[in-house]
Amino acid sequence: MANYRKRAVAASAAAALTVALAACGGGSDDNSSEEGGNASAAKGGTLNYFIYAPIEHVDPQRIYVGRDISNFGRTVYRSLVTFPASDDATEASTPVPDLATDTGTATEGGKVWSFTLKDGIKWEDGSEITCEDFKYGASRVFAQDVITGGPNYIVSYLDIPQVDGEPAYKGPYTGEGQEHFDKAITCDGKTITYRFNKPWPDFPLAVAGLHMMDPYKQSEDEGDKSNFKIFSNGPYKLEGTWNKDSGGTLVRNENYDAATDSTDIRKALPDKIAFKIGQTTEVIYDQLIADSGEAQTGVTGQRVPPAYFSQITGPVEERLTTIESPYVDYLVPNFNSPDMKNPKVREALAAATNIDAWIAAGGGEKAYVPAESIVNPSVVGYEPNPAFAGPNSGDVEKAKQLLAEAGVSNVEIKFTYPQSDTADKQAAALKQTWDEAGFKTVLDPLGDTYYDVVQKPGNDSDVYWAGWGADWPSAITVTPALFSKVNLTKGSNGQNYGAYTTPEFEAAIDKAANAATLDEQTAALQEADRILGEDVAYIPLEIAVFNFLHGSKVANFNTTPASSEFPDLGVIGVKN
Amino acid sequence: MTTTVSNLETEHLPDPTGHPDETAKVAGKSPTRLAVERFRKDKLSMIAFVIVALYLLAALAAPFLVKFGVLDPFTLHNSGEGNLLDENTLPAGKWGGMSWDHPLGVEPGAGRDALSRMWYGITFSLVIAMLATLVALVLGVVLGIIAGFSRGWLDMIIGRVIDLTLAFPQTLMLLALSYTAVAFLVEYVHIPAGNLAQGAYVVLVLGIFGWPSIARIIRGQVLTIREREFVDAAVLLGASKGRIYFKEILPNLWAPVLVSFTLFMPAAISAEAALSYLGVSIKPPTPTLGNVLRDALQYAHASEAFIYFFAPAFLICIIVVSFNLLGDGIRDALDPKSSR
Repeated sequence: MANYRKRAVAASAAAALTVALAACGGGSDDNSSEEGGNASAAKGGTLNYFIYAPIEHVDPQRIYVGRDISNFGRTVYRSLVTFPASDDATEASTPVPDLATDTGTATEGGKVWSFTLKDGIKWEDGSEITCEDFKYGASRVFAQDVITGGPNYIVSYLDIPQVDGEPAYKGPYTGEGQEHFDKAITCDGKTITYRFNKPWPDFPLAVAGLHMMDPYKQSEDEGDKSNFKIFSNGPYKLEGTWNKDSGGTLVRNENYDAATDSTDIRKALPDKIAFKIGQTTEVIYDQLIADSGEAQTGVTGQRVPPAYFSQITGPVEERLTTIESPYVDYLVPNFNSPDMKNPKVREALAAATNIDAWIAAGGGEKAYVPAESIVNPSVVGYEPNPAFAGPNSGDVEKAKQLLAEAGVSNVEIKFTYPQSDTADKQAAALKQTWDEAGFKTVLDPLGDTYYDVVQKPGNDSDVYWAGWGADWPSAITVTPALFSKVNLTKGSNGQNYGAYTTPEFEAAIDKAANAATLDEQTAALQEADRILGEDVAYIPLEIAVFNFLHGSKVANFNTTPASSEFPDLGVIGVKN
Repeated sequence: MTTTVSNLETEHLPDPTGHPDETAKVAGKSPTRLAVERFRKDKLSMIAFVIVALYLLAALAAPFLVKFGVLDPFTLHNSGEGNLLDENTLPAGKWGGMSWDHPLGVEPGAGRDALSRMWYGITFSLVIAMLATLVALVLGVVLGIIAGFSRGWLDMIIGRVIDLTLAFPQTLMLLALSYTAVAFLVEYVHIPAGNLAQGAYVVLVLGIFGWPSIARIIRGQVLTIREREFVDAAVLLGASKGRIYFKEILPNLWAPVLVSFTLFMPAAISAEAALSYLGVSIKPPTPTLGNVLRDALQYAHASEAFIYFFAPAFLICIIVVSFNLLGDGIRDALDPKSSR
């Protein structure tokens, strides 16, 4: 049940263990990669990257899946600044210059940021990457009816006047309000300057963690038709075209000058990287376990299915990498439900939630670790939420008592979650202790799509499942993104699936949004999470554990916090 | 016109295998009696009959056994005290966690009792299959009689509808329509959402797509029956259509109806299992043979869950084969002249 999405992503909730959506995440723990360093890291060879579900967007301004942000960032899309491929959590969540000469200069209390471009940076056709290309790339984000699916933070941050709650600039395709945009982002030779309507102290983190600020060459832009087009400025370029259902192959880009790049970011070891899409996770793992054919030089971002755990022993286990992911799965009570409006009922629900059984039904300790906050431990300023401390096995007696205090019994609740065989068992696990405590649980598995259904304001569900990971290592991309009232519009609850809103929480995140320093912001966000905990606005479940197998001829296999703990193509090579 | 007397009633020969006992009083045997005697001599059919009876008994007993706690298909044993799984969340212990408490082991991941889930699953699978069979039979018999007796344009229309239904890409439609159709049942027919609506959908769809083959058999029978004197007599006496269909013709059709029933049941059972597998039928945690099998298939690779994978497939296989053999046996017994 690991289908994660980020802000504004209309991803469908498919089967378990498929795609994880998110950008960067700082790591926190040691990495168990076993054969880094000493293995031969020579250049050459073909690396195969196995993926199950089709990638929805390959356009830099539309990519929003953590795995894809990392994969394409390491190969074809360079940014102003980026995160280095390092095991060290602090190092990997500190931006380093990529296409810019430094990590940016902030003035006016963080409201104005400027970057200077390096010399000799080129597109794959040999033309130079200009400041105008950066400006054009950012402008595409504003065409929200064409460039859909991607992160849109700059739409609310960039200093562009609002008309009826929407920015006056409508993107480059209509050109409406272009004069406002031309004032907000300016070019002076090789220096680009961004002007925001409020301080954005962690702007370089946002640039490094996403591709929304990437350059885009105007003459190559075909709007929505560019969704599967790769116009590279990195060490690789696309051979032929990208096929949505089967992937594509990256080959060396002869117009890339390694002198403008750093090996801390991209070692660019393989000569070819083939993205192979379409095989099921089971088929991918059959090949990886057998270490046969293409799988010998294969890596994947699919997690090991629990049924395969017992096969990964001995020599096969030496090819396994296990690390905590930067995501958190959680439950959301629906604040529009009459039962869930009662705080005691929400507390009872949280008390009766048997996280241990949920985890076991999902694959056990090898697949998940319990979470104690909606914020992942890899995020700067993480602290366990005191409201969710204590045992995870579901305290039925306490829940009964809370329900008695609330003066209700036989509370009928509907639990909505994305259907999969694993999720069905996990939901049955929750139902058991909830029902023992005095709830009457109806399970409501959703098939085809998930998030666009639970976002509808009129739902009669009482509890939703959801998953989230930070867009960059700051809780500003977690709690405000998930619980602010800004999410709530007439037609959609946005990411605030349970329609939670209190003045205390809004005050706390307002303080965070207007903080001039990161420390101040972090303190405000910690306060915001405590408020959510006291209100039981969410119930944290678990953090998925990433466990990836790779082929025996893969060298330097590593997952880094910079790659959201997916295999980091910046360092991985192929043995000769 | 050759003889129009049904095969059944021409059977007045003494039992060909048995020597008539001189001392015994010669007793008149009814056709039914003769059929039963023939059926009893067919060992394979008798075995199939016993197995089917056991399944039906099991299906009837399961709800009571669950109610009184003998079977427990819902309690998880996957965490804390009483955890029956190993660190890979596969059943701990040999043979998929087999023990006296859990004779067929436990389910991987959740640790629920495998026997209870399969046993209770038989109930849901058989109930759905049986209801679907009844829908198909009622439609098939009624339309078959009308088509066979009415001749002319009505016969032609029903015949073309049969062709059309048989030509329909059934499985695709089932899958594509399931969400909208279930929503329709909930919204307009006021069937409570959830398993009841899902079950009703499967019953209706299997029934609606299943009747044509039955209707064809019945029509064929009616074509011979309608030429007989008692039908002519009824027509001459001015009996209504309804009376002719259901009072005169229908009683003569019980043999093909019974055979159709026993042959449609196994098809419905396996179709329900396939639909459960595809996620259209009743949803977990309520077990059916199909959704238990679907869950088990995930673990086809794990030797620890071998029994769990094998048992539901075996149960489906046995009931389908038994019903088929039973159907064949009944047909042979009722109609010894028909060749297999």
